[in-house]
Amino acid sequence: MPDINLTIDGHKLTVPAGTLIVEAAKTVGIEIPVFCYHHKLDPVGACRLCLVDFSPGPPRPQTACTTPVSEGMVVRTQSSMAVQARADILEFELANHPLDCPVCDKGGECPLQDFTFRHGYPTSRIDGPRLHFKKPIPLSDKIALDRERCVLCYRCTRYYDEIAWEQELTTDERGVQSFITSQFDQPLQSIFSGNIIDLCPVGALTSRVWRFESRPWDMTHTATICSKCSVGCSVTQWQRRGQLVRVTSHENDEIDEGWICDRGRFDYTDVNDPARLRTPTIRGTRSTWSDAITAVAVGIKGKGAKLGVSLPQDITNEEAFLFRRLLDGPLKGAKVKMHGRSAIPAPAGPTMRIKEIDDARVIVIVASDIETDVPIIDLRVKKAVSKRSAKLIVVYPDGVDLDRNPQTVHIRNQKGAAAAEVRKLASHELLTNPGGPVAILFGDGHGSEDINDLAKACGDLAEKVGGKEMPLYRATNERGALAAGVARWDKLDGVDALLSWGPPPTAGVPRSVKFIAAWDHLPRPGYEKAVVLPATTFAERQGSYTNVEGLVQFLRPPIPVRSPLKDGWEVLCELAIALGVKVDYAGIFPIQRELAIQPPDPEPEPTPVLIGPAHP
Amino acid sequence: MPELRGSHGDSPTNVLTRWFGTPDLHTLDVYESKAGGYAALRKALLDMAPADITNEVKTSGLRGRGGAGFATGTKWSFINRDSPGPKYVVINADESEPGTSKDRYILENSPHMLVEGILIAAYAVGANQAWVYIRGEYDEPYRMLSAAIEEARAKGYVGPKPMGKDFPLDIRLYRGHGAYICGEETALLESLEGKRAQPRSRPPFPAVKGAWGRPTLLNNVETLVTVPWIINHGGAAYAKFGTDKSPGTRLMSVSGNVNKPGVYEVELGQTFRHVIVDLAGGIAGGHDLKVFWPGGSSAPVLPASMLDTKTDMESLAAARSMGGSGGVIVMDDQHCIVRAAYRLLKFYARESCGKCTPCRIGGDWAVRTYERILANEGSQVEIDTLLRVSDGLQNGRCLCGLGDSAGWVIDSTFRHFREEYEDHALRHECNVGKVATSA
Repeated sequence: MPDINLTIDGHKLTVPAGTLIVEAAKTVGIEIPVFCYHHKLDPVGACRLCLVDFSPGPPRPQTACTTPVSEGMVVRTQSSMAVQARADILEFELANHPLDCPVCDKGGECPLQDFTFRHGYPTSRIDGPRLHFKKPIPLSDKIALDRERCVLCYRCTRYYDEIAWEQELTTDERGVQSFITSQFDQPLQSIFSGNIIDLCPVGALTSRVWRFESRPWDMTHTATICSKCSVGCSVTQWQRRGQLVRVTSHENDEIDEGWICDRGRFDYTDVNDPARLRTPTIRGTRSTWSDAITAVAVGIKGKGAKLGVSLPQDITNEEAFLFRRLLDGPLKGAKVKMHGRSAIPAPAGPTMRIKEIDDARVIVIVASDIETDVPIIDLRVKKAVSKRSAKLIVVYPDGVDLDRNPQTVHIRNQKGAAAAEVRKLASHELLTNPGGPVAILFGDGHGSEDINDLAKACGDLAEKVGGKEMPLYRATNERGALAAGVARWDKLDGVDALLSWGPPPTAGVPRSVKFIAAWDHLPRPGYEKAVVLPATTFAERQGSYTNVEGLVQFLRPPIPVRSPLKDGWEVLCELAIALGVKVDYAGIFPIQRELAIQPPDPEPEPTPVLIGPAHP
Repeated sequence: MPELRGSHGDSPTNVLTRWFGTPDLHTLDVYESKAGGYAALRKALLDMAPADITNEVKTSGLRGRGGAGFATGTKWSFINRDSPGPKYVVINADESEPGTSKDRYILENSPHMLVEGILIAAYAVGANQAWVYIRGEYDEPYRMLSAAIEEARAKGYVGPKPMGKDFPLDIRLYRGHGAYICGEETALLESLEGKRAQPRSRPPFPAVKGAWGRPTLLNNVETLVTVPWIINHGGAAYAKFGTDKSPGTRLMSVSGNVNKPGVYEVELGQTFRHVIVDLAGGIAGGHDLKVFWPGGSSAPVLPASMLDTKTDMESLAAARSMGGSGGVIVMDDQHCIVRAAYRLLKFYARESCGKCTPCRIGGDWAVRTYERILANEGSQVEIDTLLRVSDGLQNGRCLCGLGDSAGWVIDSTFRHFREEYEDHALRHECNVGKVATSA
């Protein structure tokens, strides 16, 4: 469809057909205030704040958020009708709104405040007792609801309905008595609940984890990558006085489209734990870095298969690269276990990108409950199904949240028989003539499937139906570790020395271990005789992850590494030197450069891509 | 059989109510044999092309009788009969406009007339499925309509081959749960779909995206029961009644301080004097007319001095009011207009769905302001607040007409009875009953 030419407040502009007036205005820097409109939700025209005049059109103002542009349209946002309508609506919104600004966490980043300053009357003509609600209501242990502040824009309930496909948030009563509530007053349980905090334009929905912590202008923030799973969503991490005070979303349309799951949003408080380790210790006594590293080297050198190495799911590419050099050299023969990884082998070639889910006509999900394994990809699939009419086939033994859509075809296989079901799919009625690309996402059923057989079956299916595959790696940097050749899962039983990089092994330290060297950020029981090096967390460490798509993304920590802490790559360099390996990296960048030029294995070269500005 | 309080019998302008009063008119047998029922359906299904049916309705000039008064034939033509996929006919039997009981009058007397009208409309627009959304409180009309549909089904008029025609037609009923807003067409559709009843943003209109996203024809009960007559006698014959732009007759529900409240069939163009005095017997108890609402509580009021205003849409628009639902509420000079306006604002505030800001907040503020005024705590500030709220509710500010209606109540009562408002707000007194007002 051809582009549309129109005029807004005298500015001539050209935008694609179907653009809403409110979005068109943004392209020429004109702000039309909105509450209920959100660019990721279907427009409703409920709050009436965006009323503008346009001709040709009716003699009354219309909502800019529901009206697409038309050729030759003349829009006036500053006509007296529009200006007065906006100020009137704001006056109405403030009529019952409590004067909570001094104690409201939204203050300083509050659209209601900002719009009132920019578009509202300086004083209100409406006076009198305001409507009261009991407040705050704990919607969950993470989210608080203040019904008096709520402007009933319905962004939260619409998000839940349209995006998350959950029914646990709803509106009760009618008219001015309306209020937001959770179903049957039960706590919110969805892993996607936290996004309503970002969506809420006022201080009605706030984070209990960040409650009364700081004002927006007290914090600095960076756009970085979440380290909780393999999807690699962009997130904004905010710091104040060296603490990670909150995590919010950062819109990356390639991956997360502005949503994050509750793991990424709320699981950060360990960064600020007062018990965090700051100095190296040997058998509980403080020591210097050089003594501690020497002690580690002595303890793990020359052990061959008696050394166990435990790697975390969020090991960075740079650390993995350095580990590979150690495991090829002085630590040759060691048993290596990377935590959190799936059983899926390294990919044979380029795999499907997350944004390709948007255009898929049929989506096939095998051996994975993606809501738990790769949550934000679950939202992307839901969007493709509900807004882009994609068809959905799920092959999984148990019920999944995608079953909420009655059109989902759910084949409940016996555990271990997923590959057989996939082979039958080639003749499924939805796949005989898909009418476009087919997306095949497959996991490993958490170990219950023969992954090689399943991978082959999915590959064959992709070829038959014109599909692309996305193997659903689970660990944050599983693909990076696979590329570096350190994503192994040998059994650690019988080793007598353990090098634990990150949190202790989930199965516990094997009983045969006599020497423990750990790089960890919190004290652990059982480490009394260990050599412990204090670790950086995801909020401080530099490095990169390779996400499930194979995209390399760089961390931009909001908190610098402060002495005596050292970053992981630096510690590994010093350890390498102590083990007799010649390394000479002045910083992390030379490591990254080397990674990019000389991948350690003939794997498809990961493409380093910078996602967005460092400081949004 | 309920007592017949309204038009019935052989009178030149009794287009709809001609056969009301016939014993057992609600049964298919009597409707067919005594009232000529289902002849129009037979003609439409077996002898006419769908486009011709729509044309006949266009020729008649029939306008929607629910409140908006939109040209019915034009509305029918918005549905593209040949577009692929299902289409629906949805009948608005929610009848919640205060002062309106005409659809109930129809359903209690001749439910088959509605069934026939629905089937003709569905065939004309290419819909195989019709839904009647009937307000939950209409117990008896619901039972009678249900029974009528089942009779029609047993006779083969509703079903896979109605009257032998290869075009399946089905009618189903849905009962409302007690909300005025469900009379608004898109809120009705939301409720029908099982969702929270709040209006949708328009466009898209139901003819493009209606029930379950499909093209939908939404008509009021009275509009559809007019269709069989039009098919039987022709659109031109219907257009002979009434005025040029508002042809035909309409059922006016007259209530309030009159001697003979009831539902009267009135030729459009007649005066309200004819309706209130001639048909409804004038003001009861020897009092005088003070004010009347010509088209349900949502229509701006007219004072007694405007009793000779004509009932057609154009005359009412010129009088700064509207035809609305044809519910004529009559008030005599013993009643305080401020108190009446307050009572109506309470209705609108409570029935507000809460979706859009001005209606949700403004309605409640108006109610609180009226309370202050009536508690003798008012001043010029309260009057200014009422006018500010009224202004904030109109002119496209709200998502649907409920807000506008609330604004018109304040606006029109203030315009015609300013002194009463000022008596209450500024002088803290009520002079009703003490000052004579003449009709």
